[in-house]
Amino acid sequence: MNFLRFILIAAAFIFIGILPVHAKDMVVKEPPKSLSKYYPPESKQPKWIQQMHKMSTHFGGVFVNLKEKDFENVDMHADKLVEEYKKTSEMVPEWEEYFDIKAAEAFAAAAKTHDIAKAGKASGGLGKTCGKCHAEQEVAVWAKFHWPSFHKIKVTDPISEKEIEFDDYMGSISSSFKGVTVNFGEGQYDRAAKALKVFKSRYMELKSTCSKCHATQDVKRFYVGKDADTAFAGLSQELNSEKPNPGKFWKNIGLLGKTGCKHCHLVHRTNSFIQEMWEK
Amino acid sequence: MKRSSRIFDLIIGVGLIGVAGFAMLYFLVNERFEWIPEQVLELARDPEILKSPPAKKCSECHKAIYEAWKDSRHSISWTSENFIEASENRTKEKCLPCHIPKSVRGEKPSPRLDLRDEGIYFVSCHFIDNKMQGPYDLLSPPHPTFRNPDYVRSNFCGSCHQKTFKEWKATNVEDTCQDCHMPRKKGRLTQKAGFNLLHKKRWVGDHRFLHGEIKEKDVIMESGWEENFFIISLKNQTIPHSVPTADNGDPRLYLYIKFFNEAGEEVDNAKEIIAPQQETALPYNKKIQYRYRLFDKIFKAEVELKYQPAWSKEKTTVRAETVRR
Ligand code: HEC
Ligand code: HEC
Ligand code: HEC
Ligand code: HEC
Ligand code: HEC
Ligand code: HEC
Repeated sequence: MNFLRFILIAAAFIFIGILPVHAKDMVVKEPPKSLSKYYPPESKQPKWIQQMHKMSTHFGGVFVNLKEKDFENVDMHADKLVEEYKKTSEMVPEWEEYFDIKAAEAFAAAAKTHDIAKAGKASGGLGKTCGKCHAEQEVAVWAKFHWPSFHKIKVTDPISEKEIEFDDYMGSISSSFKGVTVNFGEGQYDRAAKALKVFKSRYMELKSTCSKCHATQDVKRFYVGKDADTAFAGLSQELNSEKPNPGKFWKNIGLLGKTGCKHCHLVHRTNSFIQEMWEK
Repeated sequence: MKRSSRIFDLIIGVGLIGVAGFAMLYFLVNERFEWIPEQVLELARDPEILKSPPAKKCSECHKAIYEAWKDSRHSISWTSENFIEASENRTKEKCLPCHIPKSVRGEKPSPRLDLRDEGIYFVSCHFIDNKMQGPYDLLSPPHPTFRNPDYVRSNFCGSCHQKTFKEWKATNVEDTCQDCHMPRKKGRLTQKAGFNLLHKKRWVGDHRFLHGEIKEKDVIMESGWEENFFIISLKNQTIPHSVPTADNGDPRLYLYIKFFNEAGEEVDNAKEIIAPQQETALPYNKKIQYRYRLFDKIFKAEVELKYQPAWSKEKTTVRAETVRR
């Protein structure tokens, strides 16, 4: 290996090592397969998180006990932290690089001097190894293991009574929404009124999807709750009146589009985008 | 005295002693079990029962209840295809508590780690705080028991049927969940040959957890015409919670209306989805009205109400009517 190549490779390593924490581009890579062992359905419990809680408890335990001058427990937590840290480093081979056993041992040694200042200083090195992995991996892990997939949800179209994929359903709700606005724009109020009925029943069908992920009824106050009811009632009133008022009509359309479609998208679609990338 | 008659007397004697003994034992077991010393009971105890065994273990004695439960939705709450699909292969953590409860005690349970295929089973509902709990104060030699009045109260079911429980509470009707869904019959709690006769008959709840059928008399339907409107109303007259009702399932009533002109041609139609998830279920004893604007000259309407349970895609007709103008 010639010297220049060595320098280049070394420089690349240094850059790769430091860059992700500072880079403005965030990469959300699908977590390694071996992590799946620690999440349902492969594991009954979320073992990875449990492991995190263990480390976090021992890490915090060191400082709580240093303050209380309970040195026996300081030593115990310091040893346990190193033990759990080592154990964690072996769980996902692809992530081994994130761990720095020496930093953990150095922290334990500093803690055992029972000098808060020394422990505080040594904790930085260890803490950085936690932080780096979190910054790079946590979002991906959430998208993979905590966000249920909209792509696996089917919706029964209230008009045809056929079950269709969620995103196809979004397509059809979107076109029935346009059926209302386009006809209104053209002054075809009877057609707009008929289209509104179809759109409303499609919209309300969305309420049946919430319970596929949520176990509380409360969430239905959002997107599909009172605001939506009021907007639909307002629209229906305009379309059934002798001379519909465009100002009121468009105000209610805006309300539905924003507090309904858009807000739901802002909360739920980000993860759906990420999952979709991985599914391809 | 002849030899044969002596044998006869002996048999009668032994028989009488046997009957008296059985009667005494029966009296002791059913009426004065507190007299039996703990040490004697220890001999009859089966420690396996108190180690959270599979439901099959309980069926060694409680066979009838086991068979009924096997027929219930509770026994398949974890293995139901529909549930597996809806919970994304059981990975949605929010979906586990009520479908594989550790123990039921009047609030949302926590999920258990073992024997998940048993769903909601004997141990989750009766083996609470290390005690075999039930509605009776009784003696069960194989395992200790503990009377808990919650077994005949709605709040027990409300641990999981939370929305339905709230709906029921708001009606102020006295009949509990168990009164309708676990109707009681006189019978024995156990079927273990010989031993079961030692225990008196009691009122035993039906562990099939009957779903109940919606019949014509349950939903009152009224309809009529106004200038250019057709009006129809539905009222849940008899069932003291919304109809249909659900926590996470999606049971529905569909109301279909077809409008016909004088020539008998269908010219328009309408549909209502009456479903707890859409907050359109029929509340108890309250008339719900639906109005349809008629765009053509209409001579008759055909109305049909169909029911689809949470676990199936099949619909059955609850009632059908033709309304002439
Ligand atoms: C190799 C990567 C990695 C390292 C190193 C790491 N973590 Fe984590 N940690 C994660 C991931 C991934 C999550 C998100 C888990 C989830 O939400 O399922 C997480 C989550 C956590 C959580 C939150 C758990 C929760 O309930 O949401 C805590 C606390 C935590 N980590 C502590 C630590 C501590 C302390 C260290 C260092 C001693 C550490 N982690 C090192 C990957 C790592
Ligand atoms: C594919 C699964 C899925 C579906 C379907 C879904 N959500 Fe969510 N939603 C989530 C997840 C995951 C979160 C993040 C917090 C959590 O886990 O509850 C969330 C968060 C929310 C929040 C923020 C407050 C909270 O509870 O955390 C609201 C409000 C919400 N959803 C409403 C709805 C409504 C209303 C519907 C139905 C129209 C719906 N959701 C359908 C998965 C879903
Ligand atoms: C439950 C919350 C929710 C509500 C309410 C909602 N959407 Fe969506 N929508 C989503 C999610 C989640 C996706 C992404 C689906 C996916 O990734 O497959 C989506 C995707 C879409 C898409 C893209 C479809 C595609 O093919 O990828 C369109 C268009 C859309 N929505 C329109 C609408 C309109 C119009 C409304 C309001 C009338 C609306 N949505 C209301 C959650 C919602
Ligand atoms: C608070 C307790 C509770 C939680 C949490 C819960 N369920 Fe259920 N679930 C019930 C009850 C009670 C029923 C029976 C009544 C009904 O139909 O809702 C049921 C029924 C069902 C049914 C219909 C029966 C079947 O097997 O087809 C499905 C599907 C279902 N639940 C899915 C889910 C999903 C998905 C989640 C998580 C989002 C969930 N449940 C969380 C209590 C719960
Ligand atoms: C070897 C026989 C046997 C087995 C096995 C057995 N039981 Fe029992 N159990 C009895 C007898 C006998 C009674 C009392 C019957 C009576 O007096 O009518 C009883 C009564 C009960 C009662 C009524 C308690 C009350 O206070 O109302 C409950 C609940 C019960 N058993 C639960 C269980 C469960 C759960 C299992 C399995 C884990 C189980 N039993 C296994 C014999 C058995
Ligand atoms: C541990 C939670 C839990 C408790 C406690 C509970 N249930 Fe259930 N119940 C469920 C679940 C979950 C289902 C749906 C199972 C399935 O179909 O997948 C269900 C289904 C039912 C059904 C059938 C519903 C249908 O749509 O067909 C009836 C009836 C029922 N339960 C009655 C009761 C009664 C009565 C009680 C009280 C004695 C009770 N349940 C207590 C969780 C519970």
